[in-house]
Amino acid sequence: MNRDARNGLISNPHIIISFTLLLSLFMITTQSLATSDEVADDEISSEEVADEAHNALFLEQRMPAASTCLNCHPRQYDQWSKSQHSYAQLSPVFNSFQAKILKLTNGTNGDFCIRCHTPVGMNLGEPLFGSNLDRHATSREGITCITCHRMSQTLGKVSGRLPINQGDMTQPVYGPGGNENLVKTLETPGLKVTTQANERGRKIHGEVKKFSFLSESGFCAVCHDVTLVDGFRLEEAFSEYKSSPAAARGESCQDCHMGKIPGVVSGYDLGPAAIVNGFETPDRKLTDHRFAGPDYSIVHPGMFPHNPAAQELASLEDWIKFDHKKGWGTDEFEDEVTDDMEFPDRWSDIDDRYEGREILDVQFEALDEMADARKAILKVGYLLEDIVVDKASEDNLEFKIKVKNGTDGHNVPTGFTGERLVWLHVVVEDSEGKVIFESGDLDPNGDVRDLHSRYVHNGELPLDTQLFSLQSKFVTRNVRGSEREQILSVNFSPDPLPFLRPDSRPTILDGRILGARIHKQGLISNGSRWAEYEVDNKALNGNGPYKVIVELKAAMIPVNLVGAIMDVGFDYGMTPREVADAVVDGHQVLWKKDQWLVKKSEDEN
Amino acid sequence: MEDTSSMMPKKKLSKNCVLVLLISCFVPLTVLASGESRLPDVAIPLQTEGMERTTPLFEAFAPFLSTGDIKPGFEIPTGAIWQPGLLVWGDFRSALQQNDNGNVTTEEWSNRLNLFAQLKLTGTERVLMSVRPLDEGGRFSGYRFKPDTNDNSIDASNDDIRTLFFEGDFGEVFPNLDPDDSRRLDLGFAIGRQPLFKQEGILVNDTVDAIGIVRNSGRSFGASNVRVAALYSWNEVNRNDRLEDSKAELYGLFSELDFSCCTVNVDLILVDSELPTGGGSFIGVSSVQRFGHINTSFRLFNSTAEEADNAAVSSGSLFFFELSTTPPKTDNNYYLNGFVGIDQYSPAALDFGVGGPLARTGILFAGVGLGSYGSPLDNNSTDVFGSSLGYQMFFSGGRQQLIAEVAFRKETKGLKTGSEAAGLRYQQASGLHTIYILDGFVSNHDVNGSGSGMRAEVRFKF
Repeated sequence: MNRDARNGLISNPHIIISFTLLLSLFMITTQSLATSDEVADDEISSEEVADEAHNALFLEQRMPAASTCLNCHPRQYDQWSKSQHSYAQLSPVFNSFQAKILKLTNGTNGDFCIRCHTPVGMNLGEPLFGSNLDRHATSREGITCITCHRMSQTLGKVSGRLPINQGDMTQPVYGPGGNENLVKTLETPGLKVTTQANERGRKIHGEVKKFSFLSESGFCAVCHDVTLVDGFRLEEAFSEYKSSPAAARGESCQDCHMGKIPGVVSGYDLGPAAIVNGFETPDRKLTDHRFAGPDYSIVHPGMFPHNPAAQELASLEDWIKFDHKKGWGTDEFEDEVTDDMEFPDRWSDIDDRYEGREILDVQFEALDEMADARKAILKVGYLLEDIVVDKASEDNLEFKIKVKNGTDGHNVPTGFTGERLVWLHVVVEDSEGKVIFESGDLDPNGDVRDLHSRYVHNGELPLDTQLFSLQSKFVTRNVRGSEREQILSVNFSPDPLPFLRPDSRPTILDGRILGARIHKQGLISNGSRWAEYEVDNKALNGNGPYKVIVELKAAMIPVNLVGAIMDVGFDYGMTPREVADAVVDGHQVLWKKDQWLVKKSEDEN
Repeated sequence: MEDTSSMMPKKKLSKNCVLVLLISCFVPLTVLASGESRLPDVAIPLQTEGMERTTPLFEAFAPFLSTGDIKPGFEIPTGAIWQPGLLVWGDFRSALQQNDNGNVTTEEWSNRLNLFAQLKLTGTERVLMSVRPLDEGGRFSGYRFKPDTNDNSIDASNDDIRTLFFEGDFGEVFPNLDPDDSRRLDLGFAIGRQPLFKQEGILVNDTVDAIGIVRNSGRSFGASNVRVAALYSWNEVNRNDRLEDSKAELYGLFSELDFSCCTVNVDLILVDSELPTGGGSFIGVSSVQRFGHINTSFRLFNSTAEEADNAAVSSGSLFFFELSTTPPKTDNNYYLNGFVGIDQYSPAALDFGVGGPLARTGILFAGVGLGSYGSPLDNNSTDVFGSSLGYQMFFSGGRQQLIAEVAFRKETKGLKTGSEAAGLRYQQASGLHTIYILDGFVSNHDVNGSGSGMRAEVRFKF
């Protein structure tokens, strides 16, 4: 540091005051200008979206929808339509989460989160927050076909900020196989397609450019290794993979997550990649575009999975009004319908309700399929060993159970580990089935009783001190007084006006910013951890033998997140309670073990 | 002229009473409550107002976190795709403050401008530069009302570059060396003039010319994450006396391990110097965890001087702890921090103008980084113990906050003198860019007698 302080070049303090005022004026002016510019740049007015048909056509010229790809790629569309990728933007939890972060960071988070979830919407300049019902249909497709297949650069870990090559349907797409099969297909007599934008007929892309990067793990890393602009390492799936045995063996993300069996290196199906006007293209490797994972839909089944038939029958607004839980469109319900019962206009006709129900049956089937796939991949990722009894006597009961990471490709949980809840629900019953001990149970909201439970925080339920959870925790640095867990990682303790700006320190060396971090608590690849329990001897009522029941459970998010973000509202008119209930409905028991605790002698202990 | 203000503690106390009353008037009696436990059954309309991007001071090449098309980048010879974006941001602070340390009363108007410019190249690579054009060497542009001198204006304008470094990921800079990602080339690195802040600044808090390399996502010791960084600094090392040691070189090995119970840091530093002051070795070990509802940090430090103890480096140990908890139905923060210093612990490197090793104890142990408004209590750690007890309250959704703190320190050797202090800080955000800050304290020192201070600051963030 140069410590040669210079003296008094400015003798009049008014100069400094003037400088200060000027700077303030400059800031206010630039902010005003920026705000007005931003409205012009970032938002689409209601007038602009009034003509939906024109808008859709315009967008098709730039960014074709997945529903367009469906024409020739029904298998891929079907898989994608029920995937987490296609749910990414529709999720009301995500929508409100990113809005809450935007609010807490005073607008400085910009489009960081939502850019990944709806790249089309952000390219279009749609508002950062609003109802998905007001977004363009292709924007609602989330991680849609062109997100990956119109990308042509071998980008690195860019946290989902992807340049998409724009152009109409006839423009090239990008795939690992290249152009060979397309050329053969186009040579097929009587195909009746065109690769020219200005010709009549079904338009298809005229070229598949070889882009082998699509098959590399690095391709997944463009979104699945998320570092915030301030250096906060939010998601590290790819970084964990890079240090894994699977990576060393040369197994890619795609091998496990796009192969025949979710979560297992099991090879790929073979078959035609496309069916063009009834003509199948030559067989080649087919990847699974379902991307089964920990998330699940909590929206109306008429909205998701994406289904052209559903979209043709009714708008999303109308689907939300279809009360499938009451049985609309089933014989049981319709037989009981009386003249004085009222229905929304779109569903006032019984035939429409039956048609709606028919579509929903298809939707439920798809959702069930994905629930099975989710459970299958989670069961690969998490293993539960047998219960081990350490002490079992009249006044002492101790046991443990080991939870293992079943993969060697990354940690579990991975990705957004700060909001992935995987935990053990443990119950000890006496010989009459009376519960004498419980850990991992849920509070009335559906939360485990950790520090984030609203009931625990408000002192209405005790903290579950023996809870075994693999959820990582966001911790923020208090202005003084160590660090504390927060549901959201925006730290307002040292600063009442948090801004998300790049850190002034080399955060790559620290792996964190000063004010917040993730305390990772998952299992490393092939790793394991004992969950240890001790039953309070006051609870031992002498009515043994006792039985331990252990469930390894998974939720896509903890319910406390719902409470943390609810003040910005939830899309589709959902109440926080509805969102929470739907999240809890999706909880899955991956593994279950039970064992009678037989009294052990002192020697055995 | 002799400064007699230190002889009038009663007057100053009344001043601070006024300050407390002023603060009370500004603070509405609403707290940032977490609300009822049960999630509501009523739909909340989408709050779409004000959900726009807040623009930075300046941006070029690619708008910062803005909607619109992402521009394709260009490929550099290594195979990496760069998508440049230039961003300028920072903050401006201006304060009127009065401070009496028991000997001298200072009244001043001080200013500080922190400007940062970042050229982002990819998601992982960037060049960062910072300047502070209004302060230099502990002097801040402004005006000094007391003590009165011939020239009370202060001009500390400068064009010094405070930091300038490049950081990135080796595997991302050279992607062609590992096209199938089967090799562990994802080594982070940083090179240039960079801030170094370890163990809450107790171990090191300096800006140095250095090169560092880091391995993240390690899988050792049963930890969920292991991060290890090595660093070598060849220039700009300021020693414990806050003077630059032109002959010093600093070697550091830093690690952080996330276990399910806690986060453990083990940091080692070796400073080599050809000056007579000599080098030293330094170690800092910490464990950060939650015990039930109590947040805790425990830190242990040791410094060993190569030569006899001197101002640049000395031998000693320091135990430092922080405890806090959040009361039910609020986001407020009770904290109790403390320390025990044995002999003369000295940090490995301390920049000019930053607090001593005890600054993290409380707001009464830290300066404000603006003007000559220093810490009410001494923050050096030689043969001393002490503590702070504070309460931070949040209002209006966190946009207002009040911190009340009491603290003391007591030396364990020599004259065994002690000091006590009490202070308040009120901060309020206004709009999207402005924060108002009010500070006040009273103190009592066995040696210097009473002290007090009060200040009002406005801070613009952009």
